[in-house]
Amino acid sequence: MTGALRLAALLVSAVVVFLLPAQVPALYGAFTVIAILAVAAYGLDIVLSDLGEVSLAHTVFFAAGAYATGLLATRAGAGSWATLGAALLAGVAIALLLGLITLRLREFVFSLVTYAATVVAAALAHNWNFLGGSDGVSGIPTFDLSIGPLALTARNDAELWPFAFALLLVTLYAVRQFRRSRPGAMAMMVHLNPRLATMSGIDVRRVRLGIFVLSALFSAAAGWLYAYQRAYVGPDLFETYFLVLMLTAVVIIGKRLLLGPLLGTALIIGQERFLSFGGDVNAVILGGALIVALAFLPGGLASAFTGLAARVSTKKDPREDVVDA
Amino acid sequence: MNLLQHLINGLILGHAYALVAIGWTVLLGVARLVNFGHGQIYMLGAFVTWWAVARLGLPYPVAIGFAIGAGLLLGLIMQAAMLRLTFEQDLVSIMIVTLGFGHVMRGVAGLVFGGNPQVLETPLSYVDFELGGAWITGQDVMIVVVAIAVFALLRFGLERGALGRTARMVAEDPKLAQLAGIDVRRVYFSVFAFEGAAVALAAALVAPRTPILTNIGFEEVIITFVVVVLGGIGSVGGSYVAGVALGMFTALFGGFVSPAYASTAAFGLLILVLVLRPGGFALGARAGR
Repeated sequence: MTGALRLAALLVSAVVVFLLPAQVPALYGAFTVIAILAVAAYGLDIVLSDLGEVSLAHTVFFAAGAYATGLLATRAGAGSWATLGAALLAGVAIALLLGLITLRLREFVFSLVTYAATVVAAALAHNWNFLGGSDGVSGIPTFDLSIGPLALTARNDAELWPFAFALLLVTLYAVRQFRRSRPGAMAMMVHLNPRLATMSGIDVRRVRLGIFVLSALFSAAAGWLYAYQRAYVGPDLFETYFLVLMLTAVVIIGKRLLLGPLLGTALIIGQERFLSFGGDVNAVILGGALIVALAFLPGGLASAFTGLAARVSTKKDPREDVVDA
Repeated sequence: MNLLQHLINGLILGHAYALVAIGWTVLLGVARLVNFGHGQIYMLGAFVTWWAVARLGLPYPVAIGFAIGAGLLLGLIMQAAMLRLTFEQDLVSIMIVTLGFGHVMRGVAGLVFGGNPQVLETPLSYVDFELGGAWITGQDVMIVVVAIAVFALLRFGLERGALGRTARMVAEDPKLAQLAGIDVRRVYFSVFAFEGAAVALAAALVAPRTPILTNIGFEEVIITFVVVVLGGIGSVGGSYVAGVALGMFTALFGGFVSPAYASTAAFGLLILVLVLRPGGFALGARAGR
């Protein structure tokens, strides 16, 4: 496909996706949640796909955004712009702290410390009364981004959907630009050949820290909107469900594909909303999908499909089917 | 409670921590593998023991055997699924796959054993005696004895014997080991089976001390991290010392400061050690890895 055709196809599908829930109102809830959780997954995607590290602390950034929003909105009556700022700030602050601690750590020690951070954050959320304890924070007011005479409010999923969609588009654009930017290239170099990176004058630790903090912005922003969508924030945000969901979303379609995490999230939430077998079976399906994607489908579903397509259409040059990210 | 009670409590807790962590220590030391489903195998081991005692009416020692068998089987299944990734040394994917296994195990536990908390009562928990004003149960004594036995066995079997040499060679360079005629596959399978069986054994012994829930694995795993890192990654002797020290620390912190934040404090200790000494406090020559 040529570039212009590709762009047109993307634009058309974006418009179709945006308008679809208006025709089938039952989709509003699922689409809003998919958009929000996909944004959270993109934060993890940058660290996993570009930096090559497994961060298990992105649920903390997600929850930090949600908690900052919930606490400020209910106790200080802050508007949605203020809570957005606070959510991003909370995510960045925690990521900076954790990034500095893990600056010299690699591989499983890095993952282990980020996982431990999640367990500790969950213990704090459960026991600290300031954060609402086990009850969490409920009664979050309606979403309101109004500027002067321009009224931008959302009381339900249908009204929240345009904002979730906009946040998703901003995220997709930012991730795409990041991968084409100098920091993005430096991240790949640090990932694939840290010694060459050092020799090229790249400060490996600074790049790692910068990308870790950048990735937290996405997950925290998702937490901000999720707090309004649920109107409740609680310690359940730290459960492994969200962690496994983000990880599965990132790897199931294939790493370093721009639309991968979005389609992955859509598959998972779609199954849970429209083909649910109850919480326990859903957990088995989600965990099983993660195992199968990594252990038996190297390259994810995308390469499995292209491999299949190449076998079916033997006349075509198989090289045409290689997906360019 | 007095200081002696806390110290004895810490000693017992410490041996429990060391026993829970030993599977992972060997997994890391021998195969350079990690298992984020570790906590969930612990949870399943506890549930299987409870189920065999309470539902099947089997005697407790037979139930322990059941749990070990289940853990062994789980370890083999996990390694079978990850064999390709293991040979590619794709640690990133292995970590994520083991997390996936943990999530599946939690779902399965919910389906099979239900969502209610269970209490496992063993004959040994009714035997208690006084020691200088502090009370301990037969179950506590058994945890300490079994932990010491397992560690002694490993220290002399793994770090001295021919089996240990084979294992270390595989850890250092799997390809070279294969060229030297070692069946690397078998080593990987045995190590993962040991990891599963060891955690399940620990669960069968330690779980009677607390209520058994489907989410106990989540917090259990952090203690194992701290023990493994503090002990110097992969060092058997080091993780024994680290386990006991951490048990003491947790008991004293829980007794005098706050029990709710005990695992948070353990995490603080981990950070401190990682910042000060990234290699941990290994006893042997394998420090700094």
